Amino acid sequence: MSAYRAIVAWELRFYLRRISTWVYFAIFLSIAFFFMLVMAGAWADVNLALGGGGKVMANAPYALTALMPVIALLGVSITAALAGNALYKDYDVHIDPLFYTTPVSKTAFLGGRFTATVIVNVIVTSGIAIGAFAATISPWAHADKLAPFRFMAYAQPYVELILPNLLLTCAIFFALVAFTRQMLPNYVGGAVLLIGYLLAGTIFTDIDNKELAGLVDPFGLRAQSALTQYWSIAEKNHRLVPLAGVLLENRLIWLGVAAAIFAAAFIRFQFSHSANEPLRPPSEESPATGLTEAPDAEIEPLVAPLRVTALPATTQRFDAVGRWVQFRSVFSRSFWRIVRSRHFGVIVAAGLLYLVVAARATGKLFGTTTWPVTYEMEGVLTGSFGIFILVIIAFYAGELVWAERDVHMNQLYDATPISNGITLAAKFCAMALVILALLGLTMVAGILTQIARGYYRFEIPLYIESLLGFRYIDFVLIAAFAFALHVVVNHKYLGHLLVIVFFIGNGLISSFFDQKLFFYGDDSGSTYSDMNGWGPYAWPYFWWKLYWSAFAGLLLVLAAVYWVRGEEDGWGARARLARRRFHGALRRVAAGSAVVWAGTGAFIYYNTNILNIDRSHSEERHLRAERERRYKRFQNVPQPRITSITVAVDLYPSTGDAVINGDYVLRNETASPVDSIHLGIDEDLEIRKLDFGRPAVRVVDDRPRNYLIYRLGAPLAPGDSIVMRFSLGRIRRGFPSEIRDVSVAGTGTFLENAAFMPRIGYDARLELTDEDDRKKEHLPSRPRMRPPTDSATWRTNYVSPDADWVHYDATVSTDPDQLAITSGYLQREWTANGRRYFHYTMDAPIIDLWAFQSARYAVAKDTWTPPAGQTGGPVALEIDYHPAHAYNVKRMLDAMKKALDYYTANFGPYQFHQLRIVEFPRYASFAQSLPNEIPFSESIGFIARVESPNDLDYPFYVTAHEVAHQWWAHQVVGADAQGSTMLSETLAQYSALMVMEKEFGPANMRKFLEYELNSYLVGRSTERQREMPLELGENQPYIHYNKGSLVTYAMRDYIGEDRMNAAIRGFLNAYKFKGPPYPTSLDLVDSIRAATPDSLKYLIGDMFEHITLYELKTDSAVVNAAPGGRYAVDVYVTAKKLRADSLGAETEVPMNDLVDVGVFAKAPTKPDPRIDPEVGVPLYLAKQRVHSGAQKISVIVDQRPYRAGIDPLHKLIDRITFDNTTGVRDRTAFVPRPAARPATRR
Amino acid sequence: MDLRIEHLSKTYENGTRALHDVSLTIPPGMFGLLGPNGAGKSTLMRILATLQEPDSGAAHLGEIDVLRDPSAVRRTLGYLPQEFGLYPKVTAEDLLDHFAVLKGIVDARERKQIVNALFEQTNLESARGKQLGSYSGGMRQRFGIAVALLGRPRLIIVDEPTAGLDPAERVRFLNLLSELGENAVVILSTHIVDDVSDLCSHMAIIDKGEIRLEAEPATAIDDLRGKIWVRAVERAELADYQRDHAVISTKLSAGKTLVRVFAETQPADGFAPAEAHLEDVYFAALRRQPAAA
Repeated sequence: MSAYRAIVAWELRFYLRRISTWVYFAIFLSIAFFFMLVMAGAWADVNLALGGGGKVMANAPYALTALMPVIALLGVSITAALAGNALYKDYDVHIDPLFYTTPVSKTAFLGGRFTATVIVNVIVTSGIAIGAFAATISPWAHADKLAPFRFMAYAQPYVELILPNLLLTCAIFFALVAFTRQMLPNYVGGAVLLIGYLLAGTIFTDIDNKELAGLVDPFGLRAQSALTQYWSIAEKNHRLVPLAGVLLENRLIWLGVAAAIFAAAFIRFQFSHSANEPLRPPSEESPATGLTEAPDAEIEPLVAPLRVTALPATTQRFDAVGRWVQFRSVFSRSFWRIVRSRHFGVIVAAGLLYLVVAARATGKLFGTTTWPVTYEMEGVLTGSFGIFILVIIAFYAGELVWAERDVHMNQLYDATPISNGITLAAKFCAMALVILALLGLTMVAGILTQIARGYYRFEIPLYIESLLGFRYIDFVLIAAFAFALHVVVNHKYLGHLLVIVFFIGNGLISSFFDQKLFFYGDDSGSTYSDMNGWGPYAWPYFWWKLYWSAFAGLLLVLAAVYWVRGEEDGWGARARLARRRFHGALRRVAAGSAVVWAGTGAFIYYNTNILNIDRSHSEERHLRAERERRYKRFQNVPQPRITSITVAVDLYPSTGDAVINGDYVLRNETASPVDSIHLGIDEDLEIRKLDFGRPAVRVVDDRPRNYLIYRLGAPLAPGDSIVMRFSLGRIRRGFPSEIRDVSVAGTGTFLENAAFMPRIGYDARLELTDEDDRKKEHLPSRPRMRPPTDSATWRTNYVSPDADWVHYDATVSTDPDQLAITSGYLQREWTANGRRYFHYTMDAPIIDLWAFQSARYAVAKDTWTPPAGQTGGPVALEIDYHPAHAYNVKRMLDAMKKALDYYTANFGPYQFHQLRIVEFPRYASFAQSLPNEIPFSESIGFIARVESPNDLDYPFYVTAHEVAHQWWAHQVVGADAQGSTMLSETLAQYSALMVMEKEFGPANMRKFLEYELNSYLVGRSTERQREMPLELGENQPYIHYNKGSLVTYAMRDYIGEDRMNAAIRGFLNAYKFKGPPYPTSLDLVDSIRAATPDSLKYLIGDMFEHITLYELKTDSAVVNAAPGGRYAVDVYVTAKKLRADSLGAETEVPMNDLVDVGVFAKAPTKPDPRIDPEVGVPLYLAKQRVHSGAQKISVIVDQRPYRAGIDPLHKLIDRITFDNTTGVRDRTAFVPRPAARPATRR
Repeated sequence: MDLRIEHLSKTYENGTRALHDVSLTIPPGMFGLLGPNGAGKSTLMRILATLQEPDSGAAHLGEIDVLRDPSAVRRTLGYLPQEFGLYPKVTAEDLLDHFAVLKGIVDARERKQIVNALFEQTNLESARGKQLGSYSGGMRQRFGIAVALLGRPRLIIVDEPTAGLDPAERVRFLNLLSELGENAVVILSTHIVDDVSDLCSHMAIIDKGEIRLEAEPATAIDDLRGKIWVRAVERAELADYQRDHAVISTKLSAGKTLVRVFAETQPADGFAPAEAHLEDVYFAALRRQPAAA
């Protein structure tokens, strides 16, 4: 024991005296300090939320538990170094024979070393807490982002996560050295552990797997997030993350694993001299120096004296040919050195394994996969396998730079006449070839995956383009950086560390610097679309990469002059040598690179900053704030409204330009004359012409702030109209710093009216809404939306503040091989000047929401005829799609018909006689409903692969949802007030749910609703401002979509489909095509309330007016035999009902509500679309009164039950749904006995 | 073609003075650089092998300025460092061929011939296909010689080659070295006197960074002939002898201490004349104060 203590004490003294220990400490401290400052709002422009953000305090227990273990994990390389060194230092200095021959026991020795290692690691990682705390008391932290100091908030992450993780990682790294007696496995091991962690994350993305993912995560972070995923803001701020549930299980499992690893290391550890170590294979990492001498078994004969003159003559050549041969020799040697290394094989194998797993789940949405189209495969490949390529670059760049020195062969090598430039170039090119080979491998893996998944449309050229054209250059640039770093730093481990820091830091830096020219390897972006190919991304990408390649050239020259050759490795000597070496070819390469670098840099700057406007986030914010300060006073100045729109747009797909000629008919609907027109016209639009048909003077022309005022020569009298005629150019010039606008595409144009049409009056929607942003700009706090009770909100709808129902007439021209589409009916199509023209008109007024689409489409047509007895004529259906995306066209046409069936039968006729779904590229991934036209992104349904009957058919769902919007937005539209999105989005969700239920059966609804429940709970947990009740939602998607689905589905269940639909229809009929004044959510809720029986009226409050949560749990369920061969089931349940405020603080309210009680038989093993396999066959399913607290519910059923419980289909909002039901304990067998012996008891 | 070293000085960053104003002229043939451990031999060797930079001074190999034009030196340099390793998983054949390329032997046929010849000469013929990880210390040293001889260098630097070898290996290795000096400047640095006396036509003795003696071994021994005296003394008397006489070395023999003394004539009774060895030259040179050198 005393030996153990002595070893611990000695080791601690050893480490605490080492400077590196304190450097590591400082690294942790500064990283934590930095991140904490970011979260505490020190940088105005950086919004980085790691747990914190919005209303969650930076030093809240939840935020610290999310942040601190992650920093500790990023430092896993440091742990690797410390833990590995605990044993390796003996081998390294060859002192092991001395140690291992002392009379210290193995237990004391290993135990002592391990204990000391863990203690040192704890000391080092304590820098995280200290750094984070220091940031909170620093002057740069913002007080409103900080909660009062709480010791446990800092201590808890150590107890729950950091310390157990350290025990695990230390055990692993300790064991690696004990087994291999080498340090390299630890270098690699650190990276592999981090990757393993990333791996677990991508495999378990589905909601079903959260618990499992939580258990298998060795570092417990996912367990922690599974435990806290639905925490409200209030909980995040106040509650300590408990060591319970999945987190506790996870910790126990992995501490067990740590113990097992340590035990294995203990058993395998040999307390013996390493020279005769039989376990040790000869390896490249253990240098065969003259020091560790193997016994010379051979006895050689005496040698005759060497005759130098007898050696054959040779010619030495140092010309171009000589250099080429030297290059080739070093190159191929370096290439094979990497490829044949054991670790390489392991990393690549692990990468391929990961790739196969990741590729299986491409593009999953609602658990349904997509077809493995090439761009998705490529994304998965480079996204997943790319991490492994980065690891290979990071480590083998170091290995190659150190190749000769690692085996102590450098003096032999350095004394040969090869030039540094050739050595470096050859090694670098070898690395580049390795990367190329790996990308080739990825391509093969991608194609094999496609074959395995039955997809045979191989786009080899696309693979080559994207892998070689785009990804390859990025990896090579990184390799160049890694090489230069390793050479200049000239410390192998520090080099590895810095390369990793660079990988991580590079991403971070970008949030601080808006100027991409300073951000190594950056570009304007690149997104591939099946429809539009590389679109406008290719050329800018080329220029950026040329710019960075030239810079990489400079880096490599730097590496060449700083290349360590010989024994001079002091900084002074290296600088002297560098100056001397910088001549001849190197100087020429440097000069050439510098010229290209500066030239392309200037060219890029010209494009991004002169031809295009490049504003930083803060400049943008500031402009918007100024706009509000300067012009908000005009908000209530009387303005005319748009009543009619005539527009002619010329689209130029090849250049990305559009020219818009339009007429607005503006009518003064106010009671006072209008003397000036206020306009918002986006800054990137060129105003070529703008007049009002009468004299007008431009009195304010503030393009950067998006504001123009024209004073009319003669005021516009109330009731009068004028025509505003304008011609705008939307011209693409060069390329911007970030290519965001691809709305006019080579093929697949999707140009929305909001992107180019002038707005009339002050548009309050452009004001800053984020409270943090407003504070930074010293603007008063602003409600996101006004309440529906405010009658001022009724005057405009929430879609178009300057127009109500408008007449619409559009002419659009495009390339002759493209089809151009907008809302309305095609009147005429013609060709002129080599362009194709389309003229569309609408026969009734519409909401001012429309767009232009143009592409080389394939067209599928069909007709929907209303069933007999319904009014209205047939509707022409059409899907305009990318020819390669025919997969779900039939499904979508079918969905359109089914949706029209249901909606016309239940809500009223469809107002148009045509309906088109029109595909657009994946630059955005949504579908949207415009008058008789539905733009639909290629990425959310066109390539979905719905196969099994239990797969969620989301193309069907999205189609049904969008078709419903033809009613909910285009027949009735809400006022510009809280809750209005409920009138469009929630009703569209409800409508779609009804169509889906009819199509797929009630048994298939639970799965969808579970996704909705999860999205709602996650959404409220990550809310940045405040959660609103459904009827007062402030355009919060998790409320109007996800909670909306749950609530309306449940209401339908309580009051019945007929009543529900009648209530909705009543609301629709009252407000159809009406406004202003526009209806609000309260009107709909009133309508539903009126349809609800008094006994259920409480639901209106619970579901629409408040945030209500249930905690429903079935503690146990028992079945006893009942007379007549029936089964009596007793279900013991506990129930609780809670109300939450806008931050999620909860108060319990008494409950006496009707809740589903269900008893189920086991589902048959054969899939049946009528049976939900996870629930079973309902034997009993009916609503019963359930009150707060524990209670017993008894039910009698005819068949043997399997599971039972309350709210089995999750209709109510409950954060833990898996405990709603439980397995039924079978006591039918015991029944006869107590029945037979009642008399003997008393 | 001589190697001329002029006023080389080198002090390390930690203050160690490795070389101080070293000047030597080394003619073709074997040149022994003799000195104790830490005398500055390896520093001098590495400077000449272009792997280190002196603080001041110059070195010329014929017309080549060693310090200003290292690549010209490397083209004609054969260097066998004191300690070195080799890629353990590569075969000797493969690595030697690689070094031949590095030395500029571009023609594959020529390379094959020279590699074959060198394996034969260094007696590694049978082990040429083996991985270098399995080589013994002696085999590795001989492989190093093969590398050094590629391209028929005019300057060969061999730094402490026999340090780790057993006696038999050492003999074998010295045999190998013995004929190197025919056309080249060969510098053999060692702390073992016998290495020099067996092989070298010229020598210098270096200690504490300074040259103590530059001579031909035979001449140096001749100079001492008749001036070396030996006597067995009791251990207790040793201090007196060391005070009174120019003691070159002492050696234990059968319980007594044999004292070797430098003197023009018999220093005292009981001293017998002894044969002069190179070792005497070496110790005499080391004993001398630097100022007297």
